[in-house]
Amino acid sequence: MALINIASHEIHCKIVYYGIGYCGKTTNLQYVYKSINPHARGDMLSIATETERTLFFDFLPLDLGAVHGFRTRFHLYTVPGQILYERTRLAVLNGADGIVFVVDSQAEKFEENVQSFAELDFNMRRLGKDLSNFPLIMQWNKRDMPSALPVGVLERYLNRRRVPGFEAIAYEGKGVFATLRAISKCVITQL
Amino acid sequence: MEQLTNLIISDRELAIISTLLNKLMNDTNATSAMLLDKSGQVIASQGTGVRRNATSLGALLAGAFSSSRQIAELLGEKDFRTIFQQGVRENIFTTMIEEQWLLVIVFDKLTHIGLVKVLSKKAADEMERILQRVRAETSQRKSSVINVEFRSSVEDTIDLLFRD
Repeated sequence: MALINIASHEIHCKIVYYGIGYCGKTTNLQYVYKSINPHARGDMLSIATETERTLFFDFLPLDLGAVHGFRTRFHLYTVPGQILYERTRLAVLNGADGIVFVVDSQAEKFEENVQSFAELDFNMRRLGKDLSNFPLIMQWNKRDMPSALPVGVLERYLNRRRVPGFEAIAYEGKGVFATLRAISKCVITQL
Repeated sequence: MEQLTNLIISDRELAIISTLLNKLMNDTNATSAMLLDKSGQVIASQGTGVRRNATSLGALLAGAFSSSRQIAELLGEKDFRTIFQQGVRENIFTTMIEEQWLLVIVFDKLTHIGLVKVLSKKAADEMERILQRVRAETSQRKSSVINVEFRSSVEDTIDLLFRD
């Protein structure tokens, strides 16, 4: 739920990157962190294991500056992707205003992606939200992998709602900002 | 099911919240007091200890609370509302206000936890009343802030900033 603070003239929105382990959620945030104007970002916080797998979440606060007198801030979070962290994902989703579902396009990850999306749908219901009318953007990541499935196939099985989707190669930055722009606008539209 | 997509906090309510936090901090001799949204956003904070890292602290405290709540649920707890972090120097007591906000008090060993529990319960009750007013007023205040012009300006800024 976005927070509009009239006294301090601030608007805060929370965006969560969701998806399976190693699909590139943290890579998205790292790319944004290193490429965006340094004045527009705060410190990135990562709670990860020794092997750099996300244990709890990554957190990156972005600040658009003052717009119509209101300082607009987007807080980006990632969830830990590994299956065993289901409850942790639920904890991070709490209070989200928008979701980016990052898909690992590789054929061998297809089933895992489908399960993860079903879990997201279930978790949203647990939080009393309906994913079918919630700000959501799809990102088809790892488009450079040899076994990447055609986007049409991914769309058919993972994007029944037909929300906007963006092809990405997150470690190169391709599609990262297009995704971020789309979800931010989607959140603002639904404020 | 939540109907509101946002919460609008007016000057008047924020002033009351800040006064309440300040009073709680003084009465318990705590080092800091904060009011967070469950999403991790800081609504108000008092005290010097948290000022510099308020944004990160907000995200972590809300994450820790939400995570502890999941643990409680797995253990079959029905009404889990508080967590207590005991540190070597500083302790943190967090209380949930309805299902929306978190009241956080940071205090050292000179303060007794019993006092913090009692007074934060009292403050949480008052915060609950504020939250109810904020919810009631949100829909009527919304149009004064979020209008077509605002949305289109934010979209322009997004296009300007969120790029390589």
